[in-house]
Amino acid sequence: MKFIRVLVMIAFGALLITPLYSQSKEKFEQPILITSAGQSADVTMAAMLCKKVNLNAKAVNRATAADVKDAKTLMIVPGFSSKGLGAAGISREQEMDRVKEVIAAAQKQKMRIIVLHIGGKPRRGQQSDDFNKLCAEASQYMIVVKQGNDDNFFSDIAAAKKIGLDLVEKIAEAAKPLEASFTK
Amino acid sequence: MEKHHYIAVVFLLAGGILSAIASKDFLSMRDADILHPSQFVTTTGMLSDYLPEIKGTYGDTKVYYFNSGNPGATVILLGGTHPNEPAGFIAAAVLVENAQVTKGRLIVIPQSCASGFTATDPLEACPTHFTINTQSGPRTFRYGARGGNPLHQWPDPLVYRHYPSGQQLSGMESRNLNRSYPGRVDGSFMERNGFAIVQLIKKENVDVAFDLHEAAPEVMIINAIITHEKGSDIAANAVLNLEFEDLQYSLEISPKNFHGLSHREWGDSTMTFAFLMETSNPSQGRLRGVTSEALVVEGNDPFYKTASKLDNVRITYDSSGEPLSLRVARHLQGFKRLVESYNEAHPENSAIIENIPEYNAVVSDGVGKYLK
Repeated sequence: MKFIRVLVMIAFGALLITPLYSQSKEKFEQPILITSAGQSADVTMAAMLCKKVNLNAKAVNRATAADVKDAKTLMIVPGFSSKGLGAAGISREQEMDRVKEVIAAAQKQKMRIIVLHIGGKPRRGQQSDDFNKLCAEASQYMIVVKQGNDDNFFSDIAAAKKIGLDLVEKIAEAAKPLEASFTK
Repeated sequence: MEKHHYIAVVFLLAGGILSAIASKDFLSMRDADILHPSQFVTTTGMLSDYLPEIKGTYGDTKVYYFNSGNPGATVILLGGTHPNEPAGFIAAAVLVENAQVTKGRLIVIPQSCASGFTATDPLEACPTHFTINTQSGPRTFRYGARGGNPLHQWPDPLVYRHYPSGQQLSGMESRNLNRSYPGRVDGSFMERNGFAIVQLIKKENVDVAFDLHEAAPEVMIINAIITHEKGSDIAANAVLNLEFEDLQYSLEISPKNFHGLSHREWGDSTMTFAFLMETSNPSQGRLRGVTSEALVVEGNDPFYKTASKLDNVRITYDSSGEPLSLRVARHLQGFKRLVESYNEAHPENSAIIENIPEYNAVVSDGVGKYLK
């Protein structure tokens, strides 16, 4: 009888732990909508990474709430680029509003969000970090090139919000955790 | 003669001597740099072959052709668009003196803005020349200006209106080759040069085009590849492959609304995939100290080291600085990987370019080892 009681307690404990674990390890689904937060060209790199590991992904630099409906996962690539914003003909504030709108649309349809921060140090700092914080806090999983996490910016958010985080040395190394995080 | 007459004569003579020395220095920049083409260069020509209107002007410049005789892609590489960015010119010179093409064709213009090699930028205190120790001993090359020589296109307008977009830029940009594309035959001196280059790209059916540049260590776009959106997948693939070799390049897509630049206008007005590469050149920067030949070649500046410690530069600027050999090596390796990436995407129409020195070899041996 005592043995059964112990088994029940272990099973109950496992049930409590599972949601925390699955928060970071639960697989994401395809197709993926990739969008920028800050209009850097890192979106192109993210699309190439997805292509290399055969993930069904579509990159839309300035995705809107309307683009979200056809996807099952939203991948946001944050990082400010004055050149990119200039090319898009929009202000930083307009870009921020767009990103908030896309995140809200994704959350409304219970879509999960991945953040891919691959731009390292040049995509950190005052101009980028508002985008980085907004996206990181809305995500369920992040892959970050270590150089962009020198000050534990992403690690701290991940720990505080219990978000899955993989740190990689190089952009190319992001391919492996990216591939592993999706159902085939 | 009275005493004051003698004094006047002495001052006149001294002035004459100083003027003669300055004139010699000034005029020395009109002496062409000499390259020693590889045995694999099949022909040489002039840019004016594509636009006779520039023949005999300071805009005309040498063009080197490597024709493998085997069908394949045509690749063009431009150095010296900005003559104060020497890594582009020297990388092009290394190709002219070493490359071998076994499939397709390679065209190299080492000094694309020939006019800019005949002067330095006023008030910048730049050296007129720099020296590299090569296989045959020291060789001296000109260190020019960002734009064309004002003697060849004068005066600068208050506002430069780019043709045909109408985009307005500061007047001095009217002498900037990389704001002149696609140019026009009846335009300014620099617009004609830009037009001639675009004509070359069109007439030779160039598939892949490169424009090599440098920028100050403190600017956003350094150690970067900038491409027209047509080439974004090729560039992204190359950036990933370069990363496997521990070479970091940031990728930038050419803004659609920023006109006159090679990566925008070549891509828009021709069939070519256009790429521009930037390295980090401390002799161009605003934070630099003495602008000497040594700074151009060795790339070592104490003020940039301080700036790096204060986190004010975009690169890790350590005790080894940013020597010319490293900057040339980056251009050559980037060029190589971009051509490979193009070939991967277009196996039916590829180009094979050999004898390009490896990055590590150029950095450790010095670029001079690859100049004859």
